[in-house]
Amino acid sequence: MAKKPQLAIDTRPWRDAANNKPFVRIKNVSKKFGDVSAVNDVSLDIYRSELFCLLGGSGSGKSTLLRMLAGFEIPTSGTIEIDGQDMTDVPPYNRPVNMMFQSYALFPHMTVEQNIAYGLKRDHLPKDEIAARVTELLALVKLQDYGKRKPHQLSGGQRQRVALARALAKRPKLLLLDEPLGALDKKLREETQFELVKIQESLGVTFVVVTHDQEEAMTLATRIGVMNQGEIVMIGEPTDIYEYPNSRFVANFIGSANMVEGTVTEDEPDHIRIRSAELGCDIYVGHGVDCAPDQILWWAIRPEKMRLSREKPEHPQNANVTTGVVEEIAYLGDISVYQVALESGKRIRVSQTNSVRGNPDAITWEEKVYVTWDDNAGSVLTV
Amino acid sequence: MTTTHDPTIPPPRRLKPWNAVERGLAKVGITGRMLVLAAPFLWLLVFFLIPLFVVFGISLATKQFGRPPFSPLLTTDEGTVQLTLHLNNYIRLFTDNLYVAAYLSSIRIAAIATVITLLIGYPMAYAIARAPGQWRSILLMLVILPFFTSLLLRVYALTGFMRGNGVINQFLGLFGIEPLVMMQTDFAVYVGLVYTYLPFMILPLYTTLVKLDDSLLEASADLGAKPLRTFLTITLPLSIPGIVAGSMLVFIPAIGEFVIPSLLGGPETLMIGRVLWDEFFTATNWPRAAAVACAMLVVVVVPIMLLQRFQNAVVEK
Repeated sequence: MAKKPQLAIDTRPWRDAANNKPFVRIKNVSKKFGDVSAVNDVSLDIYRSELFCLLGGSGSGKSTLLRMLAGFEIPTSGTIEIDGQDMTDVPPYNRPVNMMFQSYALFPHMTVEQNIAYGLKRDHLPKDEIAARVTELLALVKLQDYGKRKPHQLSGGQRQRVALARALAKRPKLLLLDEPLGALDKKLREETQFELVKIQESLGVTFVVVTHDQEEAMTLATRIGVMNQGEIVMIGEPTDIYEYPNSRFVANFIGSANMVEGTVTEDEPDHIRIRSAELGCDIYVGHGVDCAPDQILWWAIRPEKMRLSREKPEHPQNANVTTGVVEEIAYLGDISVYQVALESGKRIRVSQTNSVRGNPDAITWEEKVYVTWDDNAGSVLTV
Repeated sequence: MTTTHDPTIPPPRRLKPWNAVERGLAKVGITGRMLVLAAPFLWLLVFFLIPLFVVFGISLATKQFGRPPFSPLLTTDEGTVQLTLHLNNYIRLFTDNLYVAAYLSSIRIAAIATVITLLIGYPMAYAIARAPGQWRSILLMLVILPFFTSLLLRVYALTGFMRGNGVINQFLGLFGIEPLVMMQTDFAVYVGLVYTYLPFMILPLYTTLVKLDDSLLEASADLGAKPLRTFLTITLPLSIPGIVAGSMLVFIPAIGEFVIPSLLGGPETLMIGRVLWDEFFTATNWPRAAAVACAMLVVVVVPIMLLQRFQNAVVEK
């Protein structure tokens, strides 16, 4: 594999949207099947060489959106532009776009080589050039010795790589991947994730990946678009999506989160204070939030952002400390997840790194513990 | 704790006599699996292989008056058993131009009918396979529906369409067009064969086409193939098993077809089924008829074996 290519000074063009032209421009796209709205008024800009993940549960419309990019579905309304050209009604065989299918869709009656060469033959390239390209692609996906095999003689991982090679053969401007690693087992999936990113970076092709696996999305993506019920509810870099979710749906969908309801009691430019009966204490948030006093809102915090202790910690604003009893402990090796029942009956999950080997002094079942967190550890959510 | 099983009720036991039978059979080395396999073998032995040998035996006799109307193969004469095999029936098949011409003509007619059936049946099967789910079973039912009436009736009904003052000619007469001669021609035989055997072509084609994965067609389009190219490079090659099966189901019975050529065909429509009928019932020459039948079996078995071999080759690939 070649050395990692030199990255441009700014590798995140979406951060400066005013000065960067998006490569794929989806404008107000909707798709209805009969009365059912699969995709609902989605607008999305994807930049050149991005690896964009569409993440959502089943029925969220992510696959329909991908199929509209490929041309298999025509949007009911809205437009799709790829590289400055309107592609909304262009049939799939005339688009500079290739797709890797979820089931790989390898042609069973053709050898690996014939599968990879299929798209090149449609372009009427000279024979020796096709042969050279096929050899090059087989090397890229490390299947040099498998060219003469039929798809049914390959393992799942090998088929996945043939599908990738076939999709890359025509050097598409945009590669669409529908659950590319879904059919692989966990170990192989993890290996292939990095391989996929490496190939994407070395070729500089724009990837749009559809997945329901948030871990996969976090590993692969430059940016993630979270979809729910036909709409994109949040677009952001993996860290944004995880650390700064914009809604209760995103906070719950990505990773796990403890969520409580509360009322704003202090609303200052540099901090706010939320009273939460559920949590049994005040929440002191160390930054201003666009809200009003007495507004009811939600506060979400990740399990690993909380700490457990036997002694009551001090907090200058007399907040961010609550207490409860350890009900369950899930020992996962690297971390342990504690389920703590608060006095209100609310259960929260707190994870702690097991940094001491076989710690005899670890917090155990039925112990009364204090739970605390930093002022900026949680997210204030209004929707 | 919930119990789903009442311990007071013993588990169902198999009948004692059956156990005894099984043990008894096992002693002589017969298992249940062998019995299951024996059933179809026994069926084929009694209703196919034995009759076939009887027919083959008759084909080696000569015609004689009496009952049965052929000479016995084995004769006993003063303590010696004599086996007399007459090969002249088979020799006649190759020396008399009538038989060779009838075989060739049957193969030609059956082959042309098969190709026409394929050309008509493929688009129909394709349309049914691509139809929305709730339509498919209705359309398939319509394909099978003609089988609810007897073949003879349906072929007879065709004469009502094609005869001199039939439906078609009456319709043409409305426009002042002279009546067409359709009955007693090869054309009528083709119409009859194609009409009768079309379902045998559509059903196997449908089963292969309906299994065709949509994503393969999408992948082909995605890689730049226009619909016709996708059909030629993906759909058609993947439906070859259906084409082979359908063609066999049409070609093989069409070679020996008797009802259709005798009802719709003219005197010049030469098919081996009619020759066989004439030998058997008009000339009462059972040995000759049996020889014609045995030769026909070879004519039919050879293409079957070739196709079988081809199919195995496809599967291995």
